[in-house]
Amino acid sequence: MSDVLAWFLDAAHWQGPTGIPVRLWEHLWISGLSVLAATAIGLPVGLYTGHTGRWGSLAINVANIGRAIPSYAILVMVLPVSLALAPTFGYSPNLGLSFIPTFTAMVLLAVPPILVNAHAGLRSVDPDLVDAARAMGLKEGEILRNVELPLASSVIVGGFRTAVLNVIATATIGAIVSFGGLGRFIIDGRLRGVAGIPELVGGAIIVTVLAVGVDMALGALQRRMTPAGVRMAIGQVTEASAPA
Amino acid sequence: MGWKRSPIVRYLAIAAVLVLMVGACGDGGGAGNPTVRIGSDNFYESRLMAEIYAQVLEANGYTVERSFGLGSRQERAPAFEEGQVDLVPEYVGSGLGYYDTSQITGDGETNRERLAGILADKAVTVLAITPGEDTNAAVVRQDTADELGLASMSDLAAVQDDLRWGLPPDCDENPLCKGALEQYGINYPPAQRESLAACDVPIAEALNGDAIDFAWLCSTQPAIAQYGFVVLDDDLDTQPAENIAPLVRNDFLDQLDDAAAFQALLDEASAGMTTEELTRLGVEVAVNQREVDEVAREWLEAQGLLES
Repeated sequence: MSDVLAWFLDAAHWQGPTGIPVRLWEHLWISGLSVLAATAIGLPVGLYTGHTGRWGSLAINVANIGRAIPSYAILVMVLPVSLALAPTFGYSPNLGLSFIPTFTAMVLLAVPPILVNAHAGLRSVDPDLVDAARAMGLKEGEILRNVELPLASSVIVGGFRTAVLNVIATATIGAIVSFGGLGRFIIDGRLRGVAGIPELVGGAIIVTVLAVGVDMALGALQRRMTPAGVRMAIGQVTEASAPA
Repeated sequence: MGWKRSPIVRYLAIAAVLVLMVGACGDGGGAGNPTVRIGSDNFYESRLMAEIYAQVLEANGYTVERSFGLGSRQERAPAFEEGQVDLVPEYVGSGLGYYDTSQITGDGETNRERLAGILADKAVTVLAITPGEDTNAAVVRQDTADELGLASMSDLAAVQDDLRWGLPPDCDENPLCKGALEQYGINYPPAQRESLAACDVPIAEALNGDAIDFAWLCSTQPAIAQYGFVVLDDDLDTQPAENIAPLVRNDFLDQLDDAAAFQALLDEASAGMTTEELTRLGVEVAVNQREVDEVAREWLEAQGLLES
């Protein structure tokens, strides 16, 4: 453990393009971008299936494939394709090597919890409430915005939290395809054999602290987003329906 | 507590000890030898060598338990040192480098002796090496080689700034990587560099897909033949000899009726494994997707070490 502490205390590990701050930043932006893209895909689909009650199991099952295939396998499968497509689409082969495989694997990992929780959140809203709203003359969009979303917001944010936690922990594999991020410390440390163990453990600690820290921050956000009147009840729903 | 003095417990304890002793005796191969627990790293060539050793031993009356795919050296070496397996195939150059990179040489026998020196302290014996080896190979695409006239590593210095280099992440501290490149007149680190583990799938795909122009692969890696890569001649002999040898735990050897006969069997199998054979068998397993045990059996039969 003292070796790990020494690794953290070494000033050289805190500066330059391979230092902890740069790796942390790389890790955060790929994670953030992946979760944003996954939200853009998963949230509308989940809200549609949840609100209408149609196509729910199909959408969930398709999305879950992304979670079922190991991210490493996705990375290695996407790699030759994204490299082969680079001349056709005119992007740099570097993008095809590092960013695209990592980004794809992370988006596929993040879509399922966002989609599933959006769907489950809306389905968990009491149908009598929705019917009452409809009887009062609210349009479908208004029902979604003013009735279902506030009541389901905690569950929806719960899915978002799960996605963020998974992505931050798993984005480390980008280092396998020459992407930066905190995975560099883990992958590189492992390659260095016995001498690399402090770096490996140090990297793993940073990832863990980051993942738990961001999750706690989002947890606070989740509590604030919940309408005060339903905070108690919805809090229990969140615990039960958020995927582990 | 009373149970310590209870005669029933005492009898049970004695019975248990007897059962264990009988069990240990019955646990062996043909001549009352213990089961050989063979491990391997988690890639095709290590599995193949482990399987070859396993089949030779089985054909001679030993009982073998296979624990293949124990990760890579970083995981397998501690597992072996702690006695989870009795025998593993090892590359003498990298195996030596795992403990001390400064001792690595370009001669297989020297590497074997030095590795044996280090492992003697850990009560491990290094058996004879294969004549064939799987060493680090500096590789470029055919079009790059043609365009820039590259045949040996000495040709690299003149065009170094035009190349995108695929280098392993530990290159900076690795004398076989940074040190070798500097010997060839490469200004390290090169301007355009991607961090990719040597001998892995992503680095071969990256080279084939034109994301890099130079890659460190392993000389028997099937991707070289598959994609028609050009292996640059290591004209300054910078790379270590990577012949393969079985490592065996001494506590296991001590239990054998005839340790010399056991070692002779493995040495005989190793003796037939040339670089050409390693490459050819690698293509069978990794490209043609054939089963390791089948490929190993065919090879041993062709070598006359196994009856067909």
